[in-house]
Amino acid sequence: MLSNLGNSILFLCVILSLSIIYFANQNLKTPEGKISKIIYQFSLIQSCLILVCFFTLIAAFIVSDFSLINVYQNSHTSKPILYKISGTWGNHEGSLLLWAIILTIFSFLFLVYNNNHPKKFRLLTLIVQNILILGFLFFILFNSNPFSSIVPVPNEGLGLNPILQDPALAIHPPLLYIGFVGSSIYFSAAIASLISNYSSNSFSLSIKNWVLVSWCFQSLGILVGSIWAYYELGWGGFWFWDPVENASLLPWFAMTALFHSLIVFERRNIFYFWVIILCLMTFILSVMGTFLVRSGILNSVHTFASDPSRGLYILSFLSLMIFVSIFLLFKKYKRENYNINQNSKETFILINNWFMMFYLATVLLGTIYPIFTDAITNNQISVGPPFYNTIIIPIAVIFLLFMAVGPRVKWIKNKFEDLKIYTFILIGSLLINFLITYFLESYSILSNLIIISALFLISSSLIDGIKEFKKKRLDYARIISHASFGFLVLFIGLNDVFSIEKDYNIKLGETKKFENYSIKFQTLNLKEFSNYKAVVGELEILNTDTNKKNILSPEIRIYDNPQTLTYEASIKSSFLRDYYLTMSNIDRSDYYNIKFQKKPLMIWIWISVVMIVIGGFLRIFTNAKSN
Amino acid sequence: MKFKLFLILFVLYSQSIFSEEKKIDPNSIHKNLRCLVCQGQTISDSNSDFAQTIKLVVKDLIDEGKTEEEIYSFMSDKYGEWIVFKPELNMHNSLLWILPYIVLIFGGFFIFSLIKKRH
Repeated sequence: MLSNLGNSILFLCVILSLSIIYFANQNLKTPEGKISKIIYQFSLIQSCLILVCFFTLIAAFIVSDFSLINVYQNSHTSKPILYKISGTWGNHEGSLLLWAIILTIFSFLFLVYNNNHPKKFRLLTLIVQNILILGFLFFILFNSNPFSSIVPVPNEGLGLNPILQDPALAIHPPLLYIGFVGSSIYFSAAIASLISNYSSNSFSLSIKNWVLVSWCFQSLGILVGSIWAYYELGWGGFWFWDPVENASLLPWFAMTALFHSLIVFERRNIFYFWVIILCLMTFILSVMGTFLVRSGILNSVHTFASDPSRGLYILSFLSLMIFVSIFLLFKKYKRENYNINQNSKETFILINNWFMMFYLATVLLGTIYPIFTDAITNNQISVGPPFYNTIIIPIAVIFLLFMAVGPRVKWIKNKFEDLKIYTFILIGSLLINFLITYFLESYSILSNLIIISALFLISSSLIDGIKEFKKKRLDYARIISHASFGFLVLFIGLNDVFSIEKDYNIKLGETKKFENYSIKFQTLNLKEFSNYKAVVGELEILNTDTNKKNILSPEIRIYDNPQTLTYEASIKSSFLRDYYLTMSNIDRSDYYNIKFQKKPLMIWIWISVVMIVIGGFLRIFTNAKSN
Repeated sequence: MKFKLFLILFVLYSQSIFSEEKKIDPNSIHKNLRCLVCQGQTISDSNSDFAQTIKLVVKDLIDEGKTEEEIYSFMSDKYGEWIVFKPELNMHNSLLWILPYIVLIFGGFFIFSLIKKRH
């Protein structure tokens, strides 16, 4: 029943998309200045219908309707209700439906919120966006249909992978999707702007908040994913430069470059084509990321849905998008006249873009290079953290310095002020870094440089903020985001330098000592839960300097549906440090392998990212107010 | 005066950087090796028999006085390049290591050319 309902709604959505394209096209030919009502109505109906369609699928998951293959494969009656619901988008087919929803709703909202832009531009944006919607609807209907039914109807489902049964992972996909599917709307707008020759700087007003919205959600999505990886995957890190992680980072670089260069475009009416390229690139990278992840072409920790036929469809779609983009760019490209002075804000924003493109190129290359070596030389290579750290970190030092200086430079002018104050800030940063390394003992030159440049960025942002506050022209959004980015790098740097990691094989009752800590393996219990059994260890961590005790209880879980073994880390967080402990059994022995980690300032890494995003939302808010 | 103070601090500081002799930390090597029987895990994270064996091999190699780089090339000779997370700088990986810098330099020149064109 639900299967038929879902399929019919999807089919209706296709018809609606086609009619919107038809009406928009008709409307383009009429001389009337307004967009006809019927287009608004159809867009609204389309958005509502696709939501109904999604709720239908959610309903199927809630009532465990195993006549749908999708529900059968990804759910189970014994699962908690939250994970039944989140199971809807925790799989390939369901997540594509989420794609379609965001494409559709953004399409409608863009239509409604851009009244004061030319009619032709708005209609063309709508048409392009609906072509994208159609592309995904066809993909859903004919290749990855979440409403496909199965006969005979099974009595019980196969269950959801237990490591996906987690609150952070329940909200991770929607956040990330608003980010990178949201970028579709400025892809469409860029194409429309090229076709309709809408190249004045008022174009930037139509897209800038959309870029910021997608950027904020993308950042949050990446953050939640990292937090999940930190506590769920049990290795104590939060970023592994894994292909799937990289796929989410690539559009992020492009978005960051985009909303910075939009500032210049809006103000000085230059870089139009560069802005367009970035708009196109962001969504293309998003789709490419999806292709890499879903086609199974890359080996990753997170590969959860891979199938060559999907890859082929997305690849054709992707090629078409790239082809159209490049064709239009070549056709419409005109030389622009730049008038940029050396020490102007324009130059520094260009420098931001320059570094973003460098990071983007590095990460993109590292992600896809193994595919080429495998195909050409039949030689499988791994490109992992050491590669990215070697290439990115030294350059990040320079980037942070530019980031600190850039915002203080004025528009157009060719004069460098405040050299003195920077010298003081730099000396201050060196001193603080010296104190940190002297008292806490660390030796790597590179991490020292990173810490110095992060401190430099933080202090110059804050001093900047105070100055602006005195002049009553405080730009909260930028100060908060830039300073928080400095803090983020600082905390990651300190965390990396001062982490402690110890690995022991230990028996019940044994105690291990190292530095000023001792770990005692106290008890071991077997516990039964509704959908899994767990072996829970209890270990006491004693800090012999302060005599403070902490009890950590890592688990080994045995899930029933599907039968899986997972290792749950036990984490004690505080403002200064996290204790992180995992435990695993060793075959044919009484010993357990435990891995203890002390991770300083972990919470502050998350807080910094949240603050960066708050800066982004503040900017959207101030933009909305000034419009 | 300030400058002298600064200089003294700097000398102390650089001593603290260079004086300490570095020991090889086996765990940092484990983190750069892939567990071949697991899905996307490092040797350090994994408890598989394979990972246990590799950990022993790494320990032996360190005891023999091998450097970090020597250990990586030993591993990739024996198990293939797939095992090391840091691709070696050789003929077919040269583009991987060099291209990012080419992008960087090219970008720099491009920006420089834009700025110089001012009236």
